[in-house]
Order: sequence, then C-alpha cells, then structure tokens
Amino acid sequence: MNASSDMSFFTLIMGASLPVQLVMLILIITSLFSWWYIFIKVATIKRAERDAEDFENTFWTGGDLNKLYDGIAANRRKPQGMASIFEAGFKECARHKQQGRMEVSDVMEGARRAMRATYNREMDELDAHLPFLASVGSVSPYIGLFGTVWGIMNAFRGLSNVAQATLSQVAPGIAEALVATAIGLFAAIPAVIAYNRFASSVDRLSVRYESFMEEFTNILQRKS
Amino acid sequence: MLRQRENPDSFKAGALSISVHVVLLGALLISFNWKTTHPVSVANVELWDSLPTAVQKTSPIPEPVEQPVVQPKPVVKEIVKPEPVIEPEPKAQVDIVIKKTPVEKPVKKENPKEVKKPDDAIEAMKKALREEALQRPQKQPSDDALKKLQQESLREDKAEGDQKNLAVKAAANAGVIGEFTNKIKAKIRGNVNKTLCGDGNPELKFEIGLLPGGGLSGNPKLVKSSGNAACDDAVGRAIMASEPLPVPTDTSLFSQFRNLKLTFRPND
Repeated sequence: MNASSDMSFFTLIMGASLPVQLVMLILIITSLFSWWYIFIKVATIKRAERDAEDFENTFWTGGDLNKLYDGIAANRRKPQGMASIFEAGFKECARHKQQGRMEVSDVMEGARRAMRATYNREMDELDAHLPFLASVGSVSPYIGLFGTVWGIMNAFRGLSNVAQATLSQVAPGIAEALVATAIGLFAAIPAVIAYNRFASSVDRLSVRYESFMEEFTNILQRKS
Repeated sequence: MLRQRENPDSFKAGALSISVHVVLLGALLISFNWKTTHPVSVANVELWDSLPTAVQKTSPIPEPVEQPVVQPKPVVKEIVKPEPVIEPEPKAQVDIVIKKTPVEKPVKKENPKEVKKPDDAIEAMKKALREEALQRPQKQPSDDALKKLQQESLREDKAEGDQKNLAVKAAANAGVIGEFTNKIKAKIRGNVNKTLCGDGNPELKFEIGLLPGGGLSGNPKLVKSSGNAACDDAVGRAIMASEPLPVPTDTSLFSQFRNLKLTFRPND
C-alpha cells in the first residue's frame, strides 16, 4: 500500500502519471474555455434576439423610414443585427435614388446585395465559437478516454510484477485514470448541449433576418 | 479569439465559467467519501510475520528453569530412602508408632509393613529397645518425627512443584503449538482469494501433512466443505501456495504437526 491509499481527490490527481496529468490539464483548460464561450454566446444571442424584437416592433409600427434610418445612423453604437441590415439596404437604395435615372430592378438588386452582405457578416458574428464548442463536445471524451486507457495500462503493468493480485493494488490507478474520463465528460456534455441550443437559436435568428430582408425589399420596391 | 461585440461580456462570462468549475469541484469533494478505510485483515498478515522471533525467545526460558528443579529430585530421594531403614528402631516404641502411622499411611505403605513384620522374636528386642528408649531422653523420636514431617512436607511440595512444572511445560507446548498453528493459518489466509468465498461466513476444514522443513507431505485433504466448491478450491490452492509453512524447530513438538487439522473461516 502506498500513499495513494487515502484516495483523496488531489492525491489521485497528483499520483497520476505525466501523460494522464497532461490530459487532465488540457481537458480542464478546454472545459474552462468552453464554459467561457458558452456564457459569452448566451449573452450575445440573447442580446441579438432582444435587438431583433425591438427593431421589428419599431419597424412595423409604421413610422417614417427616413426617421428610423436617421435614428439608427445617429446612434453612437454601430447598428447590429436587423438594424444593420436595414441600414445597409436603405443606404444603398438612397444612394441609387440620388444618382437618379436608374432602373427600379437595378436599385432593388443593389439594395438586396448590400443587405445580403450585411446579413452574412451578422451570421458570421452569431456563428462565432460554435465550431469550437462542437469540437470540444466531440473530441474531449476521446481525450479523456485516452488518459484513462493510459492510466489503466500503467496500473495493470504494475500488477504484473505482483505474485498475488488484489483489487486494492489496481484500484488507485484505475480511479486516477477514471478522473481523466470524468473531466472529459464534464467538458463535453455542456459543450454539446450548448452547441445544439445555440445552433438552433442562430438558425431561428437567420430565418428572422432573411424574412425581414424579403419584406424590406418589397417595401423599398413599392416606394420607388 | 473574441469578436468586438463580445468584449463587454467577456469578464462576466469568464467569472461565471470559473465559478461553474469551482461549484463542480466542491460538489465532487462533498458528495464523494474520499477517505477509504482499509480492512484490518490486510495488516494482519504483517503482524503475524513479526511474531515468530518473539515466540522462539520466550519458549527456551521455561526450560532452563525446569531443569534445575528436576535435578535435585534424586538427591532428595536418596536422603529419604535411607531413613526408612533406620526407622524401625525408634518405631519400636508403640506410642510413637501409633502416632506416626496415621501420618505416614497416606504417603508410604512400607513403614507400617516393616512395623508389623517383627511379631514374636523381635518383641524381646523391642522390650530391650523400649527400656533403652525409656532411659534415653525422649527427644530423639520427636526429632525423627519432625524430620519425617519435614521430609514429607518437602516431598509433597516437590510433587506439587513437579505437577506445576509439568502443567507449565504442557501449557508452554500448547502455546507454541497454538502459535504455530495460528501462524500456519495466517500464512494460508494471506493467500486465500476471498472473493471466491462469497459474502457469508463459510467454514471449512482441511487436513494437511507436514514435513520437518515446513513442506507438505501430500495434497491437503478437505475434511469439511464450506458448501462452495470455488471457496474450497481457493483455500486448497492457498495451502499449496503457502509452502513452506512455519513449523517449530523443536523436533519434539513437530510430531504435533505431522498431521494437522485446520479450520478456516476465510471471511472472518
């Protein structure tokens, strides 16, 4: 019986072999980052949804579009989400009108392209960090499993030198090794849940943006 | 890494992320019972290993004590024997003889016989002796009686001492046998795979033959099965694996170990 017989959590981690410790370190860092990104994304997606809600309310109350545009352009903060799409489309349309003598379809096409570009930029913002969460969710169990297999290999190799094998000789090694899997799962499960949730939220937001784009194009076409 | 619009949330999110990990660590530490208590049986084996030297030291001590006690015996007996030969003279006195006989009877039957034999011819001698005795100061017979009493008491003491010594020796032997039986059992116990014996408290008996070196003279015989064949096999294998078994170096004691019945309770 060695010192690890007290089996406290920290002696388990300290008693593990170097590769297992490295695996645990990597997994803990990964887990910290994935949770950090999860909280950031929760905040940004919530804000984007609230902004979209607010903008739709003000847009469909039927006020003057010029006033709405002035209000957005005058805002110190750079417009985000739906407001930025509206701003891009309206600005493009206004420019074409100022040049005058242009086909309505060309004006619409230009406004549409501008809105599409802004929409892509917005989607890129919303999709940020989701690939990281997906990788953590799929890979970290394997990293943990690798650490566990390594630790159990060590435990059994030590057992081969003993004439009379008892469970208490392998138990500490296996317990050490299983800590790696536990950390891996702890990193992976929230990452997978968060990824799925965020992916569906981003999808819903993108549908909202696209439908707004179509409706706004219709409004611009009617006006010109 | 971070987008521009995510900056305002980054600190809050970082703090939350760290707090989540701290909470998880706390839950792990609280919910698990990390302190494991090891069963005492593991330590038992080591304890038994350290005992033999102590036992072997104690056993030689009683022997030197016994030997000096045994030696004086013949010396005392020699002193005792000649006296009955001399005794008849004072025994001729009837009064004294009557007094002596009740004391001697339980111990020695020779004296009364010797007193009864001289019937007719010796009576004349007796009379003469009686007269002589009457003339003599009557201290001698009393001295003789005292001596006898002392000797008898000595003899009784010795008998008691002998009995005590025998008892002590037997007890010591029994103790040594017990010690070695326990050591044999402990050594075998250490090799028994207890997981094969289930959760209950099975009891099984094995008969083993031992050679002076501690080796087995044959395969261990199962006398009483525990009812669990795997458990019986486990103990049988443990006996084979524990060769050489600890046996006393004293050859007189070894006879006790030639055939040894051992009772096992693997789960005790």
